[in-house]
Amino acid sequence: MPVKNVVNTNNSYQIQHITFCKYALITPNKIINLSFPQMLELRRKINALTTYSALNSIIDNENFVLLFVADKQHLIFLEIPQLLKLKDEIAAFFQEAVLA
Amino acid sequence: MNTIVRKQMSINTDVMDMLNNQIAMEMKASASYLAMASWCDQRELLNSKAFFYKQAEEEREHAMKIFTFINDNGGAAISPSVTNVNNDFESLRAIYETGLEQEIAVTESIFKIFKAARKADDFITEVFLQWFISEQSEEEDTFRSIIDVFDLMEGMPLKMIDERLPKE
Repeated sequence: MPVKNVVNTNNSYQIQHITFCKYALITPNKIINLSFPQMLELRRKINALTTYSALNSIIDNENFVLLFVADKQHLIFLEIPQLLKLKDEIAAFFQEAVLA
Repeated sequence: MNTIVRKQMSINTDVMDMLNNQIAMEMKASASYLAMASWCDQRELLNSKAFFYKQAEEEREHAMKIFTFINDNGGAAISPSVTNVNNDFESLRAIYETGLEQEIAVTESIFKIFKAARKADDFITEVFLQWFISEQSEEEDTFRSIIDVFDLMEGMPLKMIDERLPKE
């Protein structure tokens, strides 16, 4: 499915596989193209932000995070529910599923 | 493994995270051995200083081996931050005992990654880690042998004990 036809109707972030080495992070405002290394970096950042202590720290302070993605070409705004949803989305993308 | 990810990476992503933690552990061990080498160097314990300088280099080589392995298999190796390195020691024997404890901790950590790789059917990492398991067995043996020398030469001057210890 061409990524330009995707309409993000909710407030969450989604990931889409476009071609062999091209992925898209679909945000409520824009579509961000990502390479695989950029996907791995996004995964690392989101995992670091969603540890118990990191989440507590976010909640105790601004209650949101600003995150650079795609080699600092884009800045995204995430509230806690969006952050947790994106963590699940990324986990599902990388999940260990042996396809029959 | 998810076929999309599998085309980009040969190793399991969760195992990759553990390998990145292992890089940090090896680099911390390297920095720790450097601190031990400095303590020995300042006290003219020539064999021990040579031993720990060499150990510091070896630990860094281990970290680099894992680092290139991750990137070569499509993953993302992370350069770690190394903090809280202890530079304060009470004796040469205590240094070697700390060294042994450090090696045992590294061995246990590698075992955990090995088990995780096996559970995830990540055979590439499993085979890669076999070298590390043999290496850790040798490292632990080296430290134990040195601590034995301290027991055998109990009461002898420190300089004399140092002269009986291996340089690498």
